[in-house]
Amino acid sequence: MKRLLPATIVAVAALVAACGGSPDAGAPAAADQGPETGTITFTGTDNAETYQPVIKAFEAKNPGIKVTYTQIPFDQFNATMQQRLSAKDAGIDVYTVDEPRVSQLAAKGFLTDLSDLDEQVKTKFSATAYKTNHFRDKLWSLPMWNSTQFLFYNKTALAKAKVTPPTADPQQRWTWEQVEAAGRKAMQSGGTKYGLFMEQPEAYYQLQPLAESLGGGSGIEGDDALTPAVETDGWKKAMQWYGATFASGLSPRGIGGFQTGPVFAAGDVAFFVGGPWDLKIFGSSKIDWGVAPLPDFQGGKPLTPTGSWSLGINPASKQQGMARKFVEFATLDAAGNLATTSTTTIIPANLDAQKQYTPQMDGFSGTKTAGAAAITTYESEHTAVSRPVSVGYIQFEEVMGKAFADIRNGTDPAARLQEATRQLTDAWKSIK
Amino acid sequence: MRQRQGLIALAFLAPALVCLAVLRIVPAISAVVESFYTESLLRGGRVFAGLGNYTDLLSNKDFRQSVGVTLLFTVLVNPIQVVVSFLLAVLFTQRAAGARLWRTLVILPIATPPAVSAVIWSVIYRPDGLANGVLERLGLPAQPFLTSPSQVLPSLIVLLSWIGVGYWMLFLIAGIQEIPAEVREAALLDGAGPWRRMVSVVLPLVRRPLAFVLVADTVSNLLVFAPVQILTKGGPNGNSNLLMYDVYSRAYAIGDIHVAQAEVVILVALTLAIVAGQFRLLRGDQ
Repeated sequence: MKRLLPATIVAVAALVAACGGSPDAGAPAAADQGPETGTITFTGTDNAETYQPVIKAFEAKNPGIKVTYTQIPFDQFNATMQQRLSAKDAGIDVYTVDEPRVSQLAAKGFLTDLSDLDEQVKTKFSATAYKTNHFRDKLWSLPMWNSTQFLFYNKTALAKAKVTPPTADPQQRWTWEQVEAAGRKAMQSGGTKYGLFMEQPEAYYQLQPLAESLGGGSGIEGDDALTPAVETDGWKKAMQWYGATFASGLSPRGIGGFQTGPVFAAGDVAFFVGGPWDLKIFGSSKIDWGVAPLPDFQGGKPLTPTGSWSLGINPASKQQGMARKFVEFATLDAAGNLATTSTTTIIPANLDAQKQYTPQMDGFSGTKTAGAAAITTYESEHTAVSRPVSVGYIQFEEVMGKAFADIRNGTDPAARLQEATRQLTDAWKSIK
Repeated sequence: MRQRQGLIALAFLAPALVCLAVLRIVPAISAVVESFYTESLLRGGRVFAGLGNYTDLLSNKDFRQSVGVTLLFTVLVNPIQVVVSFLLAVLFTQRAAGARLWRTLVILPIATPPAVSAVIWSVIYRPDGLANGVLERLGLPAQPFLTSPSQVLPSLIVLLSWIGVGYWMLFLIAGIQEIPAEVREAALLDGAGPWRRMVSVVLPLVRRPLAFVLVADTVSNLLVFAPVQILTKGGPNGNSNLLMYDVYSRAYAIGDIHVAQAEVVILVALTLAIVAGQFRLLRGDQ
């Protein structure tokens, strides 16, 4: 209760203020820009090392401005930010925004309006990135990164099991059925404990393509994007398959969070679905591995996850001017944007930065990452599908995450999706 | 003179009273008031909803399940922890070699933050973790632990007892050591065996600390949060969705602060009812 009080009072105050305001509610660019020098605080989920290069470059270019970075672990990030932003905590100037959450954060008055940068964003980023950072025709955050997913495979285990590994050619993409069969062979004679494992086994980001590839839709429909649609045939079929991979032991139950990557790095699984950041992380593992495009279902349509973090400014910040300078440098400036990707290997969202960055991906871990660049380019042009834009996305992700966890642990998928529909309808009642 | 003394006493008490008011009483009142309101994110505006949030909660299947799970958990975890702490306290007050060392080992988990304990146990409970390793050595089949709807609550009880039992044991050890030596000697002279001495001498004489442990343990177990958040997120199928975690996820994940406030009020009422019941039972014994 102690914790609920200040948050509630301020949340109510903020909402009343936000709703009673002019159409330009939020903090328009003309508002008080604050001091020109000083220290700004930047909050995100990645390790501090990730942002050291961009902070260094920014400080060199802007003498008198210092940037301090605070890390909040991914699992607690959204809830902690919700608490701090609703308390109008001026201790946060800039923060990372997960793209599908832009709508709700903007609706709640947690983001400064950046619409005067609209033209620049239109030319410097992809159309998808441009769209997902908008809500009600206004620009609320600037895209920093983009992402995709790869199928990583354990070369040694597949060779031992006499399985020809998949190629990096997107035209010869494997199907999930092929992965399953090869994974079982690797478990029998390749020496791995498991056949297949997803890096974020309970995350909508990674599981959306399974259902969408079977024509199941994103799970959200309606004019206001507040109608659940997770009981389509595509969703049911995809979740049947997904639940069965755990029931049969192809994938392990009970391992989650940050314990998934090490399972592949230790050589315990034949196939692993992961992101560009893994291209470097797995480089230090002792096993021999390669990358291939993300599979789709037989007869399905190849689709891949996309999108990543954007940067936004807290309207409660008293240093709007400095915060803007940093956000613009880390996204709109190609060199600055590139600097955000030099430690953690993730795709820069700025198109000029992307052009310089993508070709390097082939060499992130020697010959093991050969083909990663071509896969990345192909997926972003042909198969990338964004997470749905809805003011109810935060609740959607929460409810679906729990449904995926239960399906993973053996609950009947059709019944659990029906349950999720009920929970979504309940959760969205308070939004409508 | 006396009035002046009173003022001085009040001045000394003031910091505590202010904290009590600001940190406890005002939030409590605010929670009750806010639980009668509702607001829409899209349309905005805070509207008086009367008991709407409460009826919404009571008609919500997940909430009702959460109450059931919390009650089942309370009925199981408290007797287990109190009995085990009492037995350990009796054991560690015997004059035996290494008793102090053992006592220290049992108390040690208190020094570990709950979040760290939860992370340690997440590795123990993994399908290829320590617990299944031990079972395998004993020739027993592997267990699903946190991923099974029926084993998740017992698994959490084991984890929480590992943290809590040592702490509650300390109070009981202090109580046992308070028992006058003459009473023990008299019992010995009367030829009472160890069991008789424990049931007829020690147990009645540690009633006060035992009552405190029972009540304090019950309250702390009704507020369990970190292990659920870190290990199970309330699953599988809501079978570990304790009320405190449900409040948190409603307030900060789902973002419906008003319904969450109503749930807090219900949780406090439930806690008071259980504690009042315990006091009644304890008094009835006398």
